[in-house]
Amino acid sequence: MTTNHTTPGRRLHLNAFLMEAGHHEAAWRLPEADPGASFDLGHYVRLAQLAESAKFDSLFLADGPVAQGTGEFRTPGQLEPLTLLTALAGATERIGLIATASTTYNDPYNLARTFASVDHVSNGRAGWNIVTSATEQEAANFGLAGRPLHATRYERAEEFLDVALKLWDSWSDDHFLGDKVAGRWGDPTELRPIDHVGTHFRVAGPLNVPRPPQGYPLLVQAGASEEGKRFAARYAEAIFVAHQTLEAAQSFYADLKARAVAAGRDPDQVVILPGIVPIIGSTEREAIALAQQLDDLRIPEFGLRALATVLEVPVEDLILDAPLAPAITQRTSREGFDSRANLIIELAVREQLTVRQILGRLGGGRGHNVVVGTPEQIVEVMECWFHHGGADGFNVMGAALPSGLETFIEQVVPLLRAKGLFREEYEGRTLREHYGLPRPANQYVRDGAAGVR
Amino acid sequence: MSHSRKLSLNAFLHDTGHHEASWRHPDSGLDRIDDITWYQEIARKAEAAKLDAVFLADGPAWYGSAHRPSNQFEPITLLTAIAAVTDKLGLISTASTSYYEPYNLARLFASLDRISGGRAGWNIVTTYSDDAARNFGQDGVLPNETRYERAQEFVDVITALWDSWEDDAVVADRESGVYVDTAKVHRIDHAGKYLKVRGPFNAPRTPQGRPVYVQAGSSNDGRLFAARNAEAIFTAHQTLGDAQAFYADIKSKARGLGRNPDHVLVLPGISPFIADTEKEAKDLYDYFNSLTVPAFGLGQLEKVAGVSLRHLDLDEKVPAEIFGSAGNVLDNDRSRKQVVANIVERDQPTLRELLHRLAGGRGHNVVHGTPTQIADTIQEWFEGGAADGFNVMPPLYPQLLDAFTEKVVPILQDRGLFRTEYTGSTLREHYGLPRPASIYSSDGASANTAETA
Repeated sequence: MTTNHTTPGRRLHLNAFLMEAGHHEAAWRLPEADPGASFDLGHYVRLAQLAESAKFDSLFLADGPVAQGTGEFRTPGQLEPLTLLTALAGATERIGLIATASTTYNDPYNLARTFASVDHVSNGRAGWNIVTSATEQEAANFGLAGRPLHATRYERAEEFLDVALKLWDSWSDDHFLGDKVAGRWGDPTELRPIDHVGTHFRVAGPLNVPRPPQGYPLLVQAGASEEGKRFAARYAEAIFVAHQTLEAAQSFYADLKARAVAAGRDPDQVVILPGIVPIIGSTEREAIALAQQLDDLRIPEFGLRALATVLEVPVEDLILDAPLAPAITQRTSREGFDSRANLIIELAVREQLTVRQILGRLGGGRGHNVVVGTPEQIVEVMECWFHHGGADGFNVMGAALPSGLETFIEQVVPLLRAKGLFREEYEGRTLREHYGLPRPANQYVRDGAAGVR
Repeated sequence: MSHSRKLSLNAFLHDTGHHEASWRHPDSGLDRIDDITWYQEIARKAEAAKLDAVFLADGPAWYGSAHRPSNQFEPITLLTAIAAVTDKLGLISTASTSYYEPYNLARLFASLDRISGGRAGWNIVTTYSDDAARNFGQDGVLPNETRYERAQEFVDVITALWDSWEDDAVVADRESGVYVDTAKVHRIDHAGKYLKVRGPFNAPRTPQGRPVYVQAGSSNDGRLFAARNAEAIFTAHQTLGDAQAFYADIKSKARGLGRNPDHVLVLPGISPFIADTEKEAKDLYDYFNSLTVPAFGLGQLEKVAGVSLRHLDLDEKVPAEIFGSAGNVLDNDRSRKQVVANIVERDQPTLRELLHRLAGGRGHNVVHGTPTQIADTIQEWFEGGAADGFNVMPPLYPQLLDAFTEKVVPILQDRGLFRTEYTGSTLREHYGLPRPASIYSSDGASANTAETA
């Protein structure tokens, strides 16, 4: 099997990554912004309906069970994502609904059940972005003195996934008899305990929710560390990733597709979606002015603290008008945001940036690719990455929301359609159908022995 | 006619209905129980009748059999979907202190309270179930004392999390770029016997401050826990006398703890078979019991008794010693076992009769009669020091909820016992409960020690 990024008729997948008043850290300060957006259901309903009107594959909510930073200069949290997805399911009909949830700080029975519920409530539109949660601050909310090591977190994540898949498969699709006369509602042989006993979990099962409409929710992964890539190659059907350059994107793309093949999977069933933060103007000058307006609203202290967290250094070690110290740039691995830290260091070294300049580059998308330009210029970048083995689609991250998404839909999506790169209408009803992925067979059912993995 | 004190009425949701054989009724909604619109339609009916709330019981395990469905969507997301189609109706979900992490559960309920505009309630349970224990790495359920000790610590932690942002913590000043006043966001730094949680929470205080605290479970440990923490109590009583004794005990315990007894509502369950004549109502009750599968009821009863009952003859009287010394309403280790033991002792039923008594409401009060008779019973309990309202458990949804709302509720309204319009918009307002001040505010610190009014 080979990857098919040159197949004629191949189309982009677009995911709307939603985040309060926008991905730019200071977007909430724009005159147009709603500073209360992070806890306002109405804001998210507007965004979801907007993305659905443009036939996006899905929307996505990032998450962590922690107050991110102190909240002094930006909201430190948002609505809990699975409840929010459920509310958005009721306000939309077709768009996929993806939320992040942690395998380190949840129990598999509770989380498998909640995602199964969301998949039922949305009629097959749920997706789970599987994360292992990187910070000390999260660990401290769950009784741990320090966070578990990177390798331990991924080991637990793999077992968590095995348990979740077993629980979703614990009901056969045809369990239902509905025989009122004989008093037999269901066939008990079609519901089975899973009796999982492993290193991290003992779970008897079965689940108390029928198998989800999609079989499993769409399995998504973000995190490009070595363990993250290994995990993604085995489980992920869609991958969110941050790259600053086409070369980095190509190398990741080729690596992941090859790993998927090595794991016995069809590489087309691993959809790779780098983030893009489009800052759009009708002229290049207008776009630059908009980027500048956002940049002027940044409070350096906020970015500095966030950077210190990702690089795992004391904030005092970051000098605004100096480059990153060699002790930082030469460190080879970290226990937390390993891949994101490497991306930032590579960017800083490659372009010889001072800390102040780094903060400017990260303000829009925390390391995701910020593209400032006209609609044509944005399309050019997307097309280039799509056709040259860097992407199967994009995680579209409005710098300000809703305006960033509105402009993208009004000005970029029509150009993509004119080139035949993006759907005019939904063809499927489930999230798996939007991404061209099959409904997985049940691992316990004989006919399903040749399952997806 | 008008009474100043009004009944509180909840609709207790349960797939096709509370009667264990309801699914076999020719008009049951058996084919819709995995369809979210089924629950949404029922909730809208409850709201049209101005009921206080809908309620979902829950446990993280599959409790079904071939003879009865037990599909249970995760309840907090289910209520979020109901929030989207209702405006005033309270939304109460059960969640276990034994099988959740407080930070995660705090987020789910805070999100529901925010999304619903202040309508969330939490039925706090410790989950007495070996099946649930085995889904969370345990061999069986932990002793009462341990579960309730953890529950108290859990409630203290979750309260601190919900209170950790003072009500006026969010500044969101675009000009200065200050989002929160960090002096008003508090780490909770809890380190106890079962839980260690640093905090702070990652969301502002919710519309109700905290969801309404509900408790169900009337054992000795349960009653003490309820008197200390609960603002509403769901309970099962077969006789007016037991209900009165329970009511007086709870109110006096609450007063003894320095709480205002009016802020602890006692809401027994009632499962009414309603028809135009007394005979028709009795026939309806008998018809539902004729649909039961004895093997199912026996299995349920064995779980309560804790011993095998297979040797008993369906048409012989149940030996009283089967339930040993189950105690009385004010002295027991397991309240539901005590309820069943008292039926056996008092009424000396055959096994078949006992199974029929329990088929409708698992020990809750099942009544049959004309609308006036049902209203009379409700009024008698309400005015006789036995109840502040009821958890209404229709044997068959939606038909017997309709009978209640269309025929019984108007009588209660005519008698001035129940509202004709909502006067508030939060669940606390429906129940006549105050919005608690944050324990971290100067008001909360003093209010917490002297709630007595």
